[in-house]
Amino acid sequence: MLEQLQFQDKGLMLQHLHPLAALAYLGVLAGLALVFTHPLYLLGLLGLIILAIQAADGLAGWGICLKFSLGMSGLILLVNLLVVRAGETVIWRGPQLPIFGELCISLEAICFGAAMSLRLLVVLSVFYLLNLIIHPDRLLRLLSRLAGRSALVLSLVTRLFPYVFRQMNNLQEVLRVRGVDFQAGTWRERQQKYWLLFNSLLISSLENSWELAEAMQARAFGSGPRSCYWREVFRPRDVLCLLASMLALLTAIYGHIKGSSTFQFYPQLDYLLKDRLTLLLLGIIIGALSLPVILSWGWRRWPYLNARI
Amino acid sequence: MRAAGKRILLPLGLLLTLGLLLSSGLSSESPIQLDWGLLSLMIIAVLLGLLYWDFERSAISSREVALMAVLAAIAAVARVPFALLPSIQPTTFIVIISGFVLGPRAGFMIGAAAALASNFFLGQGPWTPWQMMGWGLAGLLAGWGKLFFPRAFLKGLPIFCFGWGYIFGWLMNLWSWLAFIYPLNWQSFLVACAASFWFDTLHALGNAAFYLLFGPTFIKILNRYGRRLKVEEIVPAAAGGAVNCSFEAGKGRSIKKQ
Repeated sequence: MLEQLQFQDKGLMLQHLHPLAALAYLGVLAGLALVFTHPLYLLGLLGLIILAIQAADGLAGWGICLKFSLGMSGLILLVNLLVVRAGETVIWRGPQLPIFGELCISLEAICFGAAMSLRLLVVLSVFYLLNLIIHPDRLLRLLSRLAGRSALVLSLVTRLFPYVFRQMNNLQEVLRVRGVDFQAGTWRERQQKYWLLFNSLLISSLENSWELAEAMQARAFGSGPRSCYWREVFRPRDVLCLLASMLALLTAIYGHIKGSSTFQFYPQLDYLLKDRLTLLLLGIIIGALSLPVILSWGWRRWPYLNARI
Repeated sequence: MRAAGKRILLPLGLLLTLGLLLSSGLSSESPIQLDWGLLSLMIIAVLLGLLYWDFERSAISSREVALMAVLAAIAAVARVPFALLPSIQPTTFIVIISGFVLGPRAGFMIGAAAALASNFFLGQGPWTPWQMMGWGLAGLLAGWGKLFFPRAFLKGLPIFCFGWGYIFGWLMNLWSWLAFIYPLNWQSFLVACAASFWFDTLHALGNAAFYLLFGPTFIKILNRYGRRLKVEEIVPAAAGGAVNCSFEAGKGRSIKKQ
């Protein structure tokens, strides 16, 4: 299950985007999801992200996001129903509760809870897309320009994570060969066996850290400004993605100021379509943000486009 | 003078951004009313930026970097075997002990790095910045606790480990409360916290149990390795007596006449 949440290189266009362009695109998607309260805008974003996830070949693993957000949605609905008294269309009045007063379930609270659950699904899907399209190393390399030392620590941790995990399995195997049965014995005995494992892992890892430090010293760590061996190339597709993200962001800011992307839930539900501007701005935002998905489709089917961007 | 100005520009800019974000969230007359879900994420990003900036400007040796990376990797790996048990994770305990022994800066870095790096394998989400802050602060406060009250804090470490289980849970609840719940009042926050009460209690009990079972030995081992970061060398003085040169990683070199 966890493999589906990790980056797997499939040679897709979205995976070949410059990390800055990909981050800007995902940042705009997540930011808009947190700004919009209008259900149509949230639905539009969700549809777009599902298309992007399909373009990143990750639709099979998206079920994890869906399951997780369904679980959280129940909680969001429950909290909203318990504490909101602002809705005027009351569906059911319940008993008096100690802290919250009279239980009062309104249509507005249900709709608000549903819209917020939709928002949660959109935000989770954006992060799922991040896992699919940006390799951690490329992300950290981008960070290294801003904060070299912090990026180095993070890179080392991502490198050491699978190593320490393997080392833990190896140590467990060695202890088993020596007759340590982790499942046998009382709770206290089992705890002592696990402590033996953790202790060995800690000491061997700390010993290895000196070797790591020596290797860093041998490569002139801290002797001057850091050198850069590798540079990401900014290609036309990255410029197009950045421009599309900027256009969507500016349109969303305009829509937010005009009130088109917000929806009034309380005290009574607002009209879903207030004016034509609501639909027009939604069209521009979704159109701009779908550009990377369209380019990705063209990248697969049209070798000429593939070569040009 | 110019270099000092440059050094101070980034934190000043970050502090200014923080002030603007807070004022736009609190003022009803702000031209753009941003949702608290987005605002809180931006505020967390600025705070993390300030703490990372502090780490960037510190003098740090390769040994310290390697030690932090290894401890963060162990803290991150420790999440995996316990992933199926709700909220029981030794990461918090490892980060707190690391911060206590190695200092606040290292504690923050180990906590934040463990959260970010482990999520590359377990899945990034909107919770990542909050986890980075939750674990980073655990290490930072444990380090400060040792700096200001060395003996009392050592005695109170099991209580700190236990309490951080709840504080971490409340911090994680804060974002979902700010982003998805209306109205933002104490009753709604109480319900959000009540929903996670058992998970937070398990986390707190797990931290306390890990500390009571493994804490003292872990502190002893880390203290030993922490001491190896410090190099003291006795150099004979040219005229009478000796000069004690002490190299403490990250703290430069101090020379005392004996």
